[in-house]
Order: sequence, then C-alpha cells, then structure tokens
Amino acid sequence: MIRNNDIVSPYQIAMITIMTVISVEVFSIAADTADILGTDGWLVIVILGIINIFTAMVIVRLNSIFPGKTIAEYSQIIIGTVPGKVLTSFFAIYLIIVIAYVTRVFTEVVKMFLLFRTPTEVIMLSLILVSTYIVRGGVECVARINELIFPILFIPFTIVMLFGLPNMDFSNLRPILQTPPGKVLASIPRMIFSFGGIELALYYIGFMKEPKKAYKSLIISVLFILLFFVMVIVFCIAAFGAKSTTKAIWPLVMYIRGISLPGLFIERLDGVILSLWVLTVFTTIVTVFFTASYSISKVAGTREQKQYVLPLVIIIYYLALQPGSLAELYEWGNAIFPYAVSAFMYVVPVMLLIIAGLRKLEVKQNEGN
Amino acid sequence: MGFFRKKEKKMEKLIISKSLDENMKRLKERLKDCDDIVYKEFRVGVEQNLRFLLVYVDGMSSRDMLNDAVLNALMVHAREVPPEAKEPGEGLYKLVRYGGLPASELADKDNLEDAILAILIGDAVLFIDTTEKCIIIGAKGWPMRGVSEPNTEALIRGPRDGFTETFRVNTALVRRRIRDSRLKLKQLRLGKRSFTDIGVMYIEDIVSPELLEEVFRRISTIDIDAIIESGYIEQLIEDNCMSPFPQISVTERPDEVAASLYEGRVAILVDNSPFALIVPTTLNSLFQSPEDYYDRWYVASILRFIRYFASILSLVLPASYIAVTSFHPGILPDKLVISMAAAREGIPFPVVIETFIMEVTFELLREAGLRLPVPIGSAIGIVGGIVIGSAAVEAGIVSPIMVIIVAITAISSFSIPNYSLSVGFRMLRFFLMILAGVLGLYGIMLGVLLILSHLVKLKSFGIPYMSPYVSFEGSDFKDTIVRVPTFLMARRPILLARNRIRLRNNRNLINRPEQESERDDKE
Repeated sequence: MIRNNDIVSPYQIAMITIMTVISVEVFSIAADTADILGTDGWLVIVILGIINIFTAMVIVRLNSIFPGKTIAEYSQIIIGTVPGKVLTSFFAIYLIIVIAYVTRVFTEVVKMFLLFRTPTEVIMLSLILVSTYIVRGGVECVARINELIFPILFIPFTIVMLFGLPNMDFSNLRPILQTPPGKVLASIPRMIFSFGGIELALYYIGFMKEPKKAYKSLIISVLFILLFFVMVIVFCIAAFGAKSTTKAIWPLVMYIRGISLPGLFIERLDGVILSLWVLTVFTTIVTVFFTASYSISKVAGTREQKQYVLPLVIIIYYLALQPGSLAELYEWGNAIFPYAVSAFMYVVPVMLLIIAGLRKLEVKQNEGN
Repeated sequence: MGFFRKKEKKMEKLIISKSLDENMKRLKERLKDCDDIVYKEFRVGVEQNLRFLLVYVDGMSSRDMLNDAVLNALMVHAREVPPEAKEPGEGLYKLVRYGGLPASELADKDNLEDAILAILIGDAVLFIDTTEKCIIIGAKGWPMRGVSEPNTEALIRGPRDGFTETFRVNTALVRRRIRDSRLKLKQLRLGKRSFTDIGVMYIEDIVSPELLEEVFRRISTIDIDAIIESGYIEQLIEDNCMSPFPQISVTERPDEVAASLYEGRVAILVDNSPFALIVPTTLNSLFQSPEDYYDRWYVASILRFIRYFASILSLVLPASYIAVTSFHPGILPDKLVISMAAAREGIPFPVVIETFIMEVTFELLREAGLRLPVPIGSAIGIVGGIVIGSAAVEAGIVSPIMVIIVAITAISSFSIPNYSLSVGFRMLRFFLMILAGVLGLYGIMLGVLLILSHLVKLKSFGIPYMSPYVSFEGSDFKDTIVRVPTFLMARRPILLARNRIRLRNNRNLINRPEQESERDDKE
C-alpha cells in the first residue's frame, strides 16, 4: 500500500508562506500605513520585510538543527517536555484565535460587498467546514492546495490591478521620504502583524527532507510578500491620495471597485475579485488550522491530528462570533496581534535558538547521525 | 453456500486415467448438458487399433485447423508414412506429440481439470487410449470483429486501428509499436468462473518498481466470479470509489497505450473488452489526446487550452448565471442587465428553477439520443432543438438567454476529450448550481474550493491526481496546458519514469546544414 509521504518540497514552503501571510490584512493595509505615515506608508513595509528576512533565517536555522522535526516536537527537546508542551499549547491557542479573526474579517467583507442579507453565521460556518475537509487530509494536502491555488489567485489579480492604471495619479505619492526616521521606527510595532504567518514555517519546515533548502524559499517568499504589499499600498495611494485612503476601511476593495472595463462583459470587478479572494483566505485558514490541530495532537501525544479538527470548528465558530461589530473586531485584533505575533515570530524562535545553542544540542544531533 | 463449496472441492483433482472410455465418461459427466461440446472419436493406424479422442467446443475452435492439423494428419498421413508406433502407451504418445501433429501450439496436461479448462477456453484436447496424458492443441478460432477505428476516440491525424474484443489481437497491436525486449506482458486469469485473461503490460526499465508492485498487489486482491469487461477491474482496483473523477484512464487506441507505456505507466488489457486500462492517471493526462503529439506543437497547445477552458466553462457557466442574475447583477454592464431583465419579463420561475429545468431537459435529451440508432437519434435532435430552442421560450417558461447558456454549456462539455471525466463535470455542475442558488458567487467559490480540495487529496496509484500542478518540477510542465515542441520534451515525467532521458535535441544539427555537408565531403 502506498501511503501519504507527508513531505513538503522547498517550492511548497514558499507557496505556504506567501499564501498564509497574504490574507485579509491586504484589504486594510493601505489604510493602516497611510494612517501612520501618510504617503511614506510603504516604507514601514519595506523595513519590516527586511527585518523578516532575518526572522526567516533564524527560523530555518532553528529547524535545520532538528531535521524532520517541527517546533511542537523540538521545543520539548530544547526546553524540556512540560515547558515545551506549554509553549505548544500557547501556540495552538494563538493559531486558533488567528483563524477566528481571519474568518470573521473575511465574513464582514463578504457581507458588505457580496451577500448583503445572508446571515454572518452561514457564511462563516460554511467557510470553516469546507476547510476542514482538506485539513483532515494532512500536511501533504495542505501543501498541495497552497501550491495549486497560488497561480489561480495571483495571475488574474495582478492583471486586474494593472487595469486600474488609468485611475492613478502618481503625483499623489509625493512627498516621498519626508517622514522623520524616528516616526518610521516608532510605527513598526503597529504594522508588525502584517507579516504574521511566517512563524508557521516553524512547523512546515519540519516536514521537509532537507531543511537547509528552506533558506532560499523563505527569503524569496518574504520578498514576494514585500513587493506585493508595496504594490497594493502604492496603487491605492496613487489612486485616492493618502487622505482618502485613510478614510476608507478597505481601500483595496475600493480600488478594484473603481476599475471599470467599458465594453467588456463584466463591468465591475469587485465581486469577481472578492470571490477570488475567498481562495487566499481559505488557504490561510487551512494552513493555520492544520498547525493548530497538529499542535494539539503533539501536546496530547497522539499520532494523528484528524480527530481534533471537528471539535476545533466549534471553538473557532464561537470565538469568531464574539466581536459584536467590525469596529470591535479590529479593536480586538489591534489589542492581541502586535504582541502575539511578535512573541511567536521573534521572541520564541530567537530564544529557542539561543537555548539550543547554549545546550549545544546541535553537536549532539550530529553525533547521533 | 457451504454446500456448493463442498461440492466444488469434491470435483477437483480429476486425473486422467489410462482408459479412453473412462476419460470420456468422466468428461461427459463433468460437461453434462453442455451440448456445444464435440467428442470426436477416431482410430489411427494400419490396423485401426489405436483409439483417439478429440474434444472441443463447437464454434470456439477453428474446424479447418483441426481438420488439417489433427484429423488429416493422424487419420490419413500417419497411415502412409513410417515410423509407425507398434506399441500403444508412452511411445505412441511421444510420436504423436512430437511427430504427428503439424500444429504450432501444443502442450501436455495430465490433469483432467486443466484439460476441461482448455476446452472451455477454445482449445482442442486430444486423448490417446492407454496414456495418462492429453495434448492441448491451440486451436482457438471464434468469430471476431476486425480491427477498426474506435468510434469514441476518433482522431483527425493518427493511426486508424483500435482494440478489439480479442485479447491476443490487442496485445499484438501494442507489441507492434514497442519492438523492445524490455516490453513485458504478464498474463493471469481472473474470475473464478469466467477465467478471463488479463494482461499487465509495462516497459521494464522505465516503470517504477513500486508502481508495478502496487498494480499486481491490487489485482491479486480481486476475488470475483466473472470479469465481463475491463470496467470490473477498474472499479475493483481504483483508489477512491466515491470520487466523481476517473482515476484510471480507459482507451481503445493502441497508440495511446504504447505512448503511456513509454512514459512509464502500466497498461492492463482484458479479454472480451476493447478498452485498455492505463494507470496511474492524472487530471492532466485526461485532457490529453494522442493527436496532441502528432500535430505540430502550437496546434496542440491551442487545442489543449480550449479543452481546459471548455471544461471550466461547462462546470461554472450555469452556476455563474444563477449567481450573477439573482445575487450580483451589479457586476454586469447596465445595458446587459436591462436587456436580461426585459428578456425575463413574464417568466414565472426564479432563475435557479429556470436553469434547472433547462439543464435537466438537456441531460434527458442527451441520454435519449445516445442509445438510439442514428436515424431516430437525429429525430430526437430535431425534437429537442425545437423544445429547447423556441417552444420553451415562446411559451414563456424560460428566457432566451437561458437557452444560450445551456447551449454553450452543452458544447463545452462535449469538448472534454474523456467521457467519464465529462460525466463527472456534469454532476459537479448541478452541485455548483445549487450552491450558487444559495450563496451566490461566494457559494460557487466554496464549491470550487471543495472540488479543488478533493482533487488535491486524490491519488491514483500513489501519484497525486493533480500532478504536475501540485508537485512542482519544471520539465513536467512541458506537457500541460502548453505542449512544447517535441524536441524540447527530452525527459519522461519525473513521478512515473525511472529512465528519464527520452530523446536528444537535434535542432542544432538541422539548422546548420553547411556543417553537415562539410562533414559529408570529408568522408
């Protein structure tokens, strides 16, 4: 019997990272950055991108000490079984909150632009339930769906973005680089969550045959995300100007709405693009969902992760229904994510790497081989 | 059940006795009420003292061949030509076996059970008095259909031969295309009552050993009374029987089988079926037609693109119509929305019901036309055309735009080259229509995501069904939506084949005729 091989290729790691990081925050990223830095909003993304290249290298370095192991497994080796399990549990809780948040934000977007009268509960539950089908298939299926959806999403999206060029006035981008450096640096913590999702590589590199190959994949994917975000921000600001961008909740949707293709069969593209956007939200949910159920299975010490998927649906559904309104939802998000993301993306990998280095675990591993 | 099993066990182990009468009695007892079996008893020798018995099934063995090679040889020629066997027994047997029968296919059996099987397969069995063995004479010769062009897989360019219902003809048609000693054909008999011949074909140094092992393992698990058609085997060894997508491809074309073998796939041929099975199969390979490789590359690439486009259209077009008209009319140009609304004026049903009525009518029409003989089938076409085309619109049941949507969907679904794949798409189309009626475009996307998730999960004999789209490998992409020029397809697919080098790029030799001629001059 040929079984699933549960191996993730370097190409798939890049796809997973890109598809996870780029999700709902793209809708609002232009407004957020414009709010902080005005026309220089893209600068903070560039700086964050460069910082995150180093984060990615730390993550790969940590994982290549323990080839074939995910953070849920090697954290127990580095800091001991019980602390490792506690760390993994916190990770799982964080991941579950991420799924709930992403689902809810997306539901609000869909409700506002696509389905005005459909109940929130129906939209949300249908999306989560569809994602469980693939999560139960294991890491191989999660990696493959990311790989498959990437071109389906980005090729049409890029083409559509270019159709908006006639609406743009690039003089809106001025003044360039007039923000004092102190202010730029101070704004970094507010945008830190936009790159949230790279930390999932801590899990997925563990399924690779040769973790060292992930250096290239992760760096390329961070650069891709960086360019993509900058493109979205620059296009939105060029189209509306910094002030109007700040006022919109989701400038990207407004931007696509503004594109008209006279004479074509489809005149307004926001509905089409938003339905395409289901794809990336779906991949984000699936990727995070798998790591959440996988973490729980490692804490509980079971071999399979399948059985935790459906119970988690109830928890996610409950959590996602908690915020009463969109404003409340964003308030919650801003209260949790800057701290949670910086903890799990920066503090945890760096600390684990330092402790592993102090305990000279690398040497042991080499002797074992 | 237990009773029959006991009886079966009792019936085994019938050995051949020395007495011809005894053998005949046993045979007749076993083959009682089988009136198509011929027992030809005859005497040989100058003194007419050697008794022979020839048994075969009337209609399955070639009577001419038996007359020439057995009866004529033994009854007439053996009388005139020495050496003559004086002693009955082993000597006589050897003389007949090695010197008396001018037939190309002979075998010895000492078990009556095997002899009976041979008779039922279509061979003739020769019993000789005083020997405990019998001779099986390969004399299969039943009426068979000639090699003709397959109806369902017709090509503009390509060979015109197709498989027939006879296993041996089919293996020969494949062998003619692969004159390589490394082409292997493993034969086995499956079916407890039907004893159907199954042939597993592969090229030894290209196929991956794990795949081959898996194929044999799965075939060995089959325990069934009869295999009538290759579809039985297909359904018994496929990975996921709940999937709407075929995981084993089926073809009537020997050239396609040969090409698949060269790619490292395994073909399974089944007697009595003109359809060969090819494993493993990917979604990409179901969109390929053998013609893609015979035509020039850009023709093939355009056709491939059209096929993919048509399949997507046939899947989502009616669903999109439902979603757009009932949930998001805003995405269409205003003029179109107005004209669509005007066309729908006075129609009593919501769009979902309207679409369902028309799609179901079309499916009924297609199914009705499929089984009918050609003259009646065309009548159905006319009736259907009138019903769908004008009467329904004039009666105010459906809108004219709906007719256009159904027509485009129908044409698109006929463009999918694989029949069972297009049936799968038909089923999923209705699934998406329901989702679109409930959740609009969002529902369609959820449905598409479910289909994609299913495709990503699906495997065919260990190969991901969506490869090469989900197992990124540059060289495998040369044969997907775009089929690159033949000289660039230098390697076999990575997931299937072991020995990957397929051809040497000769472009540079062709484009420099001067150098070639110089070399010729030197020689």
